[in-house]
Amino acid sequence: MYELKSVDKKFPGVHALKSVDFHVNRGEIVGLVGENGAGKSTLMKVIYGAYQPDAGTIMIGGKAVRFAGPRQAMEQGIGMVFQEQSLIANLTIMENIFLGYEAQFQRWGVINWIAMAAAARKQLAKVKLDIDPATITSRLSFAQRQLVELAKVLALEERIDGDLVILLDEPTSVLSKDEVTLLFKLVRELTSRASFIFVSHRMDEVLDLSDRIYVMKDGAVVDVVTREAARIGTIQQKMVGRSVDKQYYREQRQKPFDPGRVLVEFDKVSLPGRVRDISLRLHAGEVLCLVGTEGAGRESILRATFGMLTPVAGTVTIKGKSSVGLNQPRAVARGVGYVPRERKVEGIVAGMTVYENMTLSQMGRYSSGGVLRVGQERALARDWIARLSIKAHSEFADCGNLSGGNQQKVVLAKWRSGGSDIMLLDHPTRGLDIGAKEDVYEMIRDMSDDGVGVVLVADTLEEAIGLSHTIIAVKDGQIRKQFDSTPGHKPSLVELLQYMI
Amino acid sequence: MNFQRLKPHFPWITLMILTSCVGVYDPNFLRPANLLALAGDIVPLFIMALGLTFAIFIGGIDLSAQSMANMITVVASVYLASLGVGVAVLCILVGALLGTVSGYVTTRLKVPSFITTLAVGGVCLSAAQWLSGNRAVNMDATQRDAVFGWMIGRTGIVPNELFIAAGLLAICLFVERRTVLGRALKAIGAGELAAAASGVRVARYKIAAFAISGGLAAVAGLLFAVKLSGGAPSIANGFLLPAIVAVLVGGTPLTGGVGGVLNTAIGTLIVAVIRASMLYYGIAATQQQMVFGVVLILAIALSIDRSKLRTVK
Repeated sequence: MYELKSVDKKFPGVHALKSVDFHVNRGEIVGLVGENGAGKSTLMKVIYGAYQPDAGTIMIGGKAVRFAGPRQAMEQGIGMVFQEQSLIANLTIMENIFLGYEAQFQRWGVINWIAMAAAARKQLAKVKLDIDPATITSRLSFAQRQLVELAKVLALEERIDGDLVILLDEPTSVLSKDEVTLLFKLVRELTSRASFIFVSHRMDEVLDLSDRIYVMKDGAVVDVVTREAARIGTIQQKMVGRSVDKQYYREQRQKPFDPGRVLVEFDKVSLPGRVRDISLRLHAGEVLCLVGTEGAGRESILRATFGMLTPVAGTVTIKGKSSVGLNQPRAVARGVGYVPRERKVEGIVAGMTVYENMTLSQMGRYSSGGVLRVGQERALARDWIARLSIKAHSEFADCGNLSGGNQQKVVLAKWRSGGSDIMLLDHPTRGLDIGAKEDVYEMIRDMSDDGVGVVLVADTLEEAIGLSHTIIAVKDGQIRKQFDSTPGHKPSLVELLQYMI
Repeated sequence: MNFQRLKPHFPWITLMILTSCVGVYDPNFLRPANLLALAGDIVPLFIMALGLTFAIFIGGIDLSAQSMANMITVVASVYLASLGVGVAVLCILVGALLGTVSGYVTTRLKVPSFITTLAVGGVCLSAAQWLSGNRAVNMDATQRDAVFGWMIGRTGIVPNELFIAAGLLAICLFVERRTVLGRALKAIGAGELAAAASGVRVARYKIAAFAISGGLAAVAGLLFAVKLSGGAPSIANGFLLPAIVAVLVGGTPLTGGVGGVLNTAIGTLIVAVIRASMLYYGIAATQQQMVFGVVLILAIALSIDRSKLRTVK
């Protein structure tokens, strides 16, 4: 009924979808799984009309269609229930349900609220939510809002002729177990009204709910399994299973760390949000990888080490000193360096030169009485441009014009040249091509040799396994398992996955 | 030559074109003495714009500058008799202090700078009215000449104000290009989050930017009071719009991070030429703010980097 035929999508430097075939039958629940960056989000955006494919066709009921935007897709019966909920918090439930479609209740420009409330009640009944449609949305629980969102999409039913396809993007990520059970029961009942595409990181849930499962990796569909044939283990292997080259992650350069020198220690730390009871130690020369799904709490741990989050309980100790009152400037002064995920937003300052970026964290060292010693700054930049073979025409190059890999090198040079010996790397290889990735791996090994402790949130699991001395699996804000990852004894993907999802 | 590479050169090209337009209309306009007098007249506005540049450079704005200058004309006139030359120190301290208040409220209490400085401007206006009894106050002419006379004389054909302007510009240029403060302000304007993630004490530097803005607005007020030999709570009205125009036309966009004080110098000259040309084309003084309003909107619409803005409210 809904079908994609060899759909292709390219972004600068990334082949996001490679000739993807995909179809949904009437009343079917289709699961979609894959690692971060496998192309799930791009595929969903193509389905609900936010992206237009570069090649291939979209067919609905055997007819080729083209959407200029999500609204057109909706008019063809494609609805999306967003992970980041799309309801407007200060409007009532009914206003949200009919947002953009108020005309049907309108007369002389005035809305007939009674008619709208009645219509909204009908939609809410479909999702078994017995609540006054005039309630302000912000007063609902998260699970209730999810149901309202579903009701909003189901309202399409009356508006269009054809069949309905509803995308559910990580709908369970913040629901309790009971709420998940209820939601799944409801979705199964609703298959009489619509087909569903279900995207989740939680493999057990995908297996539980879906009739068929598409497995994606590197922008392509690598397997389609039916409910009966699905096994968690085999799906996981297909999701991640590319050949891992020891050379690639510079494993031969991995040396034991110094267990006598503890750089960072978390003692039963709880953070705002749902991160609880984190205890860990980072040693000199160690690469400590945090693995877990999006939102499991990895970033919060990094940010707490950098003074961007204050623990609500427990203590963080940096180089033997308590971190009470830690903020970013103080963290930098103690030798902590942070390589953020959003390289262009938090990593480099576009519009400033390479040398200005490199000394941004250490201007005190390159100035006397507040006056900068620009000559020294430039010498430093020239030195690091050569050491890391940064491709920039000179130290005067605008960082905003460098390629992603070279920007990342500038960020790393900023911290390394300042002598930071605790490095927090948040997805340091995200969006880099293979050559640039290898350069980053090389730099991580260099840092270990220099006795730097590295906390790494890696882009892929192989990267985490390949680079790390120690792996900590985080799930729902808690540490589930700590693995030793010395060469020859590295944990397997499947071992890690069972503690992550 | 594409548009993006040409863009940084727009301000001085505009200045040249405007100057030659008026020059063609009336060749007398181009006489050095006339041009120098024109530049000298605009110096108080320039100093105010110079301060504003710092606030705009970090992506903020200082709407209190005009009321600050108004208040300082009164303060200078009232306290000249008792403090003598010390009144200059008092004026600058008051300006910098009120600027610090604006900066503190903006960064620590998270009130947007346009509303903070609007409120501080209200405080200044009211203080000026209270201090002056809402009348014009005069300086004693002999004392003014003895203490501040050097400010408003002439050396040859060059008005002395121009030396003050050049001195302040040189200091500001040094701060902007060669000091930790200037570098930090640039980083905050171009990428505040990255600056914070590099451990730059963002709030402190932002407060400093507003303090400089306040201090220079006070200098502008002081010079204005000396020129007019007195002060009043509304004497500098009509300064704010041209001052903002000067900064933006000069090439420092509202989003901050690029441009700088040298741009503001060119922008101020553009304002001076526009103002003079209105005389030549017979536009009444009462209509000038209309022209500046239109120029301001055009300058912002042309200079703004829309990719940096997600929504405009």
